[in-house]
Amino acid sequence: MGPNPFFTKIMIIMKLITLFLFVGLMQVSASAYSQVLKVEFPQKSISVKDVLLTIEKHSDYKFLYRNDQMDVNRMVEIKSPAKSLENILSQILNKTNLSYKILENNLVVITSEQQKITLKGAVKDLQGNTLPGVSIVVKGTNKVAITDYDGNYTIQVTENDKILVFSFIGMKKQEVLIGSQSVINVQMESEASILDEVVVVAFGTQKKKDLIGAVTTVKPSDLKIPSSNLTTALAGRVAGLISYQRSGEPGKDNADFFIRGVTTFGYKKDPLILIDNIEVNGTDLARMQVDDIASFSIMKDATATALYGARGANGVILITTKEGKEGKVNISMRLENSISASTRNVELADPITYMKLANEAVLTRDPLGIVFYPYAKIDNTIKKVNQYAYPVTDWQNELLKKYAMNQRANLSVSGGGKIARYYISGAANMDNGILNVDKRSNFNSNAKLKTYSLRSNININLTKTTEVVARLSGNFDDYTGPIDGGASVYNQIMQTNPVLFPAYYPTDNDHQYVQHILFGNYDLGQYINPYANLQRGYKDYSRSTMDAQFEVRQNLSFITEGLSLRGMFNTNRYSYFDVNRAYNPFFYNVAHYDKLTKTYSLGAINENTGTEYLGYSEGQKDVSSSVYLEAAVNYSHVFAEKHTVSGMLVNIMRNNLIGNAGDLQNSLPFRNLGLSGRFTYTYNSKYSAEFNFGYNGSERFYKTHRFGFFPSVGMAYTLSEEKFWEPLKKIVSEFKVRATYGLVGNDAIGSAADRFFYLSNVNMNNGSYGAVFGTNNTYYRSGISVSRYSNIDISWEKAKKMNLGLQAKFFNKLGVEADYFTEDRSNILMDRASIPTILGLSAPVRANVGKAFAKGIDGTIDYSETFGKNIWLKVRLNFTYAASKFTQYEEPNYDEKYKLHVGYSLSQQWGYLAERLFVDDAEAANSPKQNFGVYGGGDIKYKDVNGDGQITPLDMVPIGYPTDPEIIYGFGFSAGFKRFDISCFFQGLGRESFWIDPNATSPFVNNQRQLLKVYADDHWSEDNQNVYALWPRLSPNVNANNTQMSTWFMRNGAFLRLKQLELGYTLPDVLLKKLQLTNARFYMNGSNLFNITSFKLWDVEMGGNGLGYPVQMVLNLGLQISL
Amino acid sequence: MKYFKIYTYSLLIILQFSCSKFLEVVPDNVATIENAFTTRAAAEKYLFTCYSYMPSQGNIVSNPAFLSGDEMMVPEMVSVYRGISLGIQIERGYQNVASPYINYWDGEQGGKPLFQGIRNCNIFLDNIAKVPDILEMDRKRWTAEVYFLKAYYQYWLLRMYGPIPLIKENLPISSSIEEVKLKRAPVDECVNYIVQLLDEAAVDLPETVLNKTAELGRITKPIALAVKAKVLITAASPLFNGNSDYASFKNNDGQLLFNSVYDATKWEKAAVACKEAIDLCHLLGNKLNYYKPAMSQYSLSPEILTQMGIRNSLTEKWNPEIIWANTNSMAGTLQIFSQAKIDPTQQSNQGFTGCLAPSMKMAELFYTENGVPIEEDNTWDYNGRLDLKTATATDKFRIKQGYTTASLHFNREPRFYADLGFDGGIWYGQGKFDDQNTFWLEVKAGQSGASAGGWYSGTGYYIKKYVNFNNVISTGNTYSMEDYPWPVIRLADLYLLYAEALNEQNGPAPEVFEYINLVRLRAGLKTVEESWTSYSKLGSSKYATKVGLRDIIHQERLIELAFEGQRFWDLKRWKDAPRVMNSNINGWDISQETALSYYRITKIFKQTFLLKDYFWPIKEIDLIINRNLVQNPGW
Repeated sequence: MGPNPFFTKIMIIMKLITLFLFVGLMQVSASAYSQVLKVEFPQKSISVKDVLLTIEKHSDYKFLYRNDQMDVNRMVEIKSPAKSLENILSQILNKTNLSYKILENNLVVITSEQQKITLKGAVKDLQGNTLPGVSIVVKGTNKVAITDYDGNYTIQVTENDKILVFSFIGMKKQEVLIGSQSVINVQMESEASILDEVVVVAFGTQKKKDLIGAVTTVKPSDLKIPSSNLTTALAGRVAGLISYQRSGEPGKDNADFFIRGVTTFGYKKDPLILIDNIEVNGTDLARMQVDDIASFSIMKDATATALYGARGANGVILITTKEGKEGKVNISMRLENSISASTRNVELADPITYMKLANEAVLTRDPLGIVFYPYAKIDNTIKKVNQYAYPVTDWQNELLKKYAMNQRANLSVSGGGKIARYYISGAANMDNGILNVDKRSNFNSNAKLKTYSLRSNININLTKTTEVVARLSGNFDDYTGPIDGGASVYNQIMQTNPVLFPAYYPTDNDHQYVQHILFGNYDLGQYINPYANLQRGYKDYSRSTMDAQFEVRQNLSFITEGLSLRGMFNTNRYSYFDVNRAYNPFFYNVAHYDKLTKTYSLGAINENTGTEYLGYSEGQKDVSSSVYLEAAVNYSHVFAEKHTVSGMLVNIMRNNLIGNAGDLQNSLPFRNLGLSGRFTYTYNSKYSAEFNFGYNGSERFYKTHRFGFFPSVGMAYTLSEEKFWEPLKKIVSEFKVRATYGLVGNDAIGSAADRFFYLSNVNMNNGSYGAVFGTNNTYYRSGISVSRYSNIDISWEKAKKMNLGLQAKFFNKLGVEADYFTEDRSNILMDRASIPTILGLSAPVRANVGKAFAKGIDGTIDYSETFGKNIWLKVRLNFTYAASKFTQYEEPNYDEKYKLHVGYSLSQQWGYLAERLFVDDAEAANSPKQNFGVYGGGDIKYKDVNGDGQITPLDMVPIGYPTDPEIIYGFGFSAGFKRFDISCFFQGLGRESFWIDPNATSPFVNNQRQLLKVYADDHWSEDNQNVYALWPRLSPNVNANNTQMSTWFMRNGAFLRLKQLELGYTLPDVLLKKLQLTNARFYMNGSNLFNITSFKLWDVEMGGNGLGYPVQMVLNLGLQISL
Repeated sequence: MKYFKIYTYSLLIILQFSCSKFLEVVPDNVATIENAFTTRAAAEKYLFTCYSYMPSQGNIVSNPAFLSGDEMMVPEMVSVYRGISLGIQIERGYQNVASPYINYWDGEQGGKPLFQGIRNCNIFLDNIAKVPDILEMDRKRWTAEVYFLKAYYQYWLLRMYGPIPLIKENLPISSSIEEVKLKRAPVDECVNYIVQLLDEAAVDLPETVLNKTAELGRITKPIALAVKAKVLITAASPLFNGNSDYASFKNNDGQLLFNSVYDATKWEKAAVACKEAIDLCHLLGNKLNYYKPAMSQYSLSPEILTQMGIRNSLTEKWNPEIIWANTNSMAGTLQIFSQAKIDPTQQSNQGFTGCLAPSMKMAELFYTENGVPIEEDNTWDYNGRLDLKTATATDKFRIKQGYTTASLHFNREPRFYADLGFDGGIWYGQGKFDDQNTFWLEVKAGQSGASAGGWYSGTGYYIKKYVNFNNVISTGNTYSMEDYPWPVIRLADLYLLYAEALNEQNGPAPEVFEYINLVRLRAGLKTVEESWTSYSKLGSSKYATKVGLRDIIHQERLIELAFEGQRFWDLKRWKDAPRVMNSNINGWDISQETALSYYRITKIFKQTFLLKDYFWPIKEIDLIINRNLVQNPGW
């Protein structure tokens, strides 16, 4: 046995810590250099004066002292060896109240010990409330004080002490000069004061005070979760974002997210994601390191997104990364180790029940049918006669471990001087799957995803007015894992018969010579053995994204105050490849079983096709590249101290190429071209007005429709700045209303493959339309097909967005921010519904005819409070409600008005109303005819809504809630007690329906599919004719009648889960000082710890995807260090 | 100031790109539909595209005539396995308007989108004149082929759906919503248009294909004439000729869709068309197929030779009887689905499945060895047909000597033994070419040929007729096949159509008997006159009347063309379907191990055929999209 991997990890972490400590100490010792003296003192007793004179004579030191303070004739004894000045002086000055200081040019000043001064004061907040527990530090020393319950403090300082630093969680750090006064009262300002915050907006920043658009900013620290996937942190954290996670598989666990819901029918429903202004995809966002994020903004309304013109209609997520700041080196490191386990595994029926019910399934459908499990087999299995001849295999147990260990490490270095500043970071994550690898395998086929990222942001001041920024970043995935992926292992478990064969047979006497594992199978080997599929090989994939960005910022204030110019060039390169290495497993079955001796012999099923060596196959290879150029002119100036005016014009160009597009049209470059502008005016921080526009071109449309103009306007009014507000200010300290309206476009309509709507797409070599002739079928020619008809009128999808917002702060503690929005989408691309089949078109005819409307509210409430000296508390609530509906939808003119989409959500489902199960065949025969194939007693009875005597698609009515949740919310608190902190965050969603997939869960299909325990326990059977049973009458295959979209398998997707719980401890300053650290915090957190829902089969957040890789529960230990 | 200049210039350079040319990413020569007609080679592809919509007549899933009728069945469990359940759903009465099975109107559920095919044919016809580098001869021939295809697709739709909208010219995509709401055309108009297209096609079609290695399977003149004959026979048959059941079936504007007045001249036209087709075929050398092995290791008994003549007329590729075989629809799957487990040493071979099971009524359909129906034969014990009987040496080319099986299997006509596999039956070929030492079937439960791996015949019968005798069951999962393009029309079909048309026109006449007897002769039977006179309880009076002879012709046709995708349509056009298809689909009790228990007739399911089942339902949504389209009666 090798070393314990967990122990090894700890050792590595320890080594790392030691390394960083060592680097820090090196710097400290370097500053403590001093001269070596070569002075001899002959006498045993000598006067102080002589000592000093002797030193002055033999070295460069000069002494300075006041005679009234020092008795120079005092006799002292200098103990040898006295090699350093410090040594000698400490001997001379011992037992005096004198001290010395070495100044420049080796001038040594000896003075009496400084006067200790006692400073006093009270700390209050802006409202005049006393603040207990504020820590006061004398800058550059370890002198510390803390305010008492009444907010008072006292602290001893000396003349040399210059600055007091007041700090308190939730408040802005404040530095106060120590003058001659002995009382220093301080008013601290809340850190979260919404007015002074700077918000990153499209192509720039704005003061939150002046902000008009609906922009939500998220503190990066709120996004820290024990996961290497940032997207999983978003749900419930960000007002205005609808998000949920359907899978927990490493590498495929990206959450889905939409800003203010979905209001388009096109292929791109998710928001535009920009990192440092560069468009990236969801995976790039997932790989983003929280520690690298300087700001995280979600732009929701028209003024915020109009600048992105064609691409802003679905909202924008904008992230900027950290830049270095002038100052000393700042090193920060975070290490985490976590354990993840499935939140819930699907429960399967026991093997005996499985066989009995499989037989029942055959006989209940066809009394003459041939049962698959002879009764002798069932009996012998119950009696456990022989575990290989009558196997019982718990595939979940064979294939899955209980938990997996994941590690994450993160390091950043930043700092800089007057000329250059830098921020460099690196991160490495290792996510392990939870699959069992056979001990005999000499390669690891468990999923293991290593992701690395590097980022380097360098800012250089070329001149006083010119700054260049170079940003380089890359993220890299290295994966090795099962050939078919982790989710497939879960799927295969569901498809594998539990009683036909074991995962493998032990090597018996007949097979002592074989080198391979004797995998189990049955009959001719056509059955799935997921264990063999997992062990037989592995896949490696490698994915990398490289991003290089160069930016120049030129301040043009020498032309006119407030004018600046900016230009940016960016290129992004993406590559992906995978390779598979695998052998063909050897399968065996029990060829002969001797009932008397209860022994079996094995038969080889595929001795000719099995291999003991690995084969090799190459997989997918993707490459793409994009280039982006941006140039901007900015102007901002304050006139007469009251009129703030700003203007901006941005020109962008983007070119994207795909290396393996698949067809000619897709291989042509993807381009965007745009000019955008923003003009703002603010009067005295009270009134603000803004005008934005985007003028964009997209190559997808015909010349005359190619460019679109997307303007937006907005206004804001800060009432709390008005004079008349003064009396209210004690209660409502801030109050602001804002309104915006504008137009945003979307060119990502139809499907991504529809590159040029104005051109037809003709495949001149379509094999599906070919024909073959000749005596021996040798003359073949492929055919010609049209997959798109040209239409030069197709153009932008447009969204008219309106937003009404409110920002308020009560008692300076309770902040409320709420937005009401509406969105009117028009020009949505749709298939014409009036084209009959007999026209013979091979592709749909389309036009910009759809319309949709959405409205909703989103908001945030936060509250912070301190209790006594040591306790603080913060509470936060986020809420998003977004509901969409079709307002114009082209569809046939149904007589059944409930079939019409207008008025229903874009993700509304239509289905049959399942009344109950049929009591018996007679009832089925006498009910309206159901047109889905065989059915009878115990099958689902649907309601004939239109009363035409049969069940057809015309009886499908809108059922359930939309599949995209309409409500997402999150709430939580964080609190601290002394050095301990705790935080907890709940997240939930509501108004969502999902469907148990009856096709995927139909048992016994192909004599393989597993049976869910809940189905075994609760189904209609001839003995128990429960017409409300969970599962209808059993069937050996998928029964089409019972798998229709209906209310029968509809479930409420609402849930509330403890998304995160965290406990932290920050090391005391004293200890930090010893360790030469500025900060160190240990923490322990867990995510997805429990879930409140009415649905119990699997993790409800997975929705209909319940048989996939489960969502993970994570327990995590972390350490964060700053130097 | 220096920097300012640099940046201004670089900004200007960037802005320079920003002219709209940046978005002109499409090169000029992206393919458009015009490219299909700029060269002969591209136009040929378009011709093949037109061909590609040809229904796969030999496909078990997409030809409804196989599994939607009463000829054969596949057990529910087996059928779902292989996705072949579509036709079975119709057979079992689950056809519906929501999502019709085997839907050739919309091209769903196993059907091909024939209206798309028709549109492509029209595009081809509109543009073929533009191709510069094509020989005039080819242009004419290709045009004629596309005329044929357009006609055939409409004929296929007519047979399934009755009156259809005729798309004579393509409507432009920019047509208004009202313009595209086309209505159905009356049956007679449809027939006339189809015949008109076929006549136009026949002018320029070649009589035979010269370049056989590259073009065999392309449409020739005999094919066009034979299809024309079939179209006219269909139009003359009771379903379409004076059918009063559909007297009130009309378009929304009141236009009648069926002509309910019987018109005898339709039979006359049909007979003329049949004769024209037969004469041309004879001229070109088509003849009924007889098995005359050029060189044979073994001297075969006359019985096996007769059986082989029958089998090979279908399974021997390009045999002289074939008028039209579809090279785009090979019979491989049919063969795999029909090969029984005859080799006890290869019980676990899954290269074939043997799951297509003829119904009991098909086993009873074939004549006795005297060439008359089993219930009419005065020498054959009809009532004792389920009794057990053990085969003797005289049965040895039919039933394994010494094997006990039902009396039904004894003393039947050669086509019975050539077409069907059954418990105890001899199965000649498949590697054993000595008729003294052949495979035979043992398919009762527990026997070597019974169910394995989930595959079995639900009735105990197998369709030997589909299986080429050269196929070999090898070891492992290998089944090596001699595949053949599915014969859509063969000469025997035309002979029987001609006989039928003549009899309907004028009643019994020497020419009627001549053509039936040609078919009977090849099947190893005596003439109608001889057989009925000597062996039928009804005697010679039966064939002397038009009605009696009609019965004889019908049964002869059902037997000769059994399992060839004809019965389903024939029963409908004769309006016999409600009588024949409202009965049980039966088989033997296949789960039994002993002969005593096995040979009990077991009901598998009850088939129903109602008036509405004559025609396919049009998908509900199509009627809502196009309110001028009317649904077929009963749906």
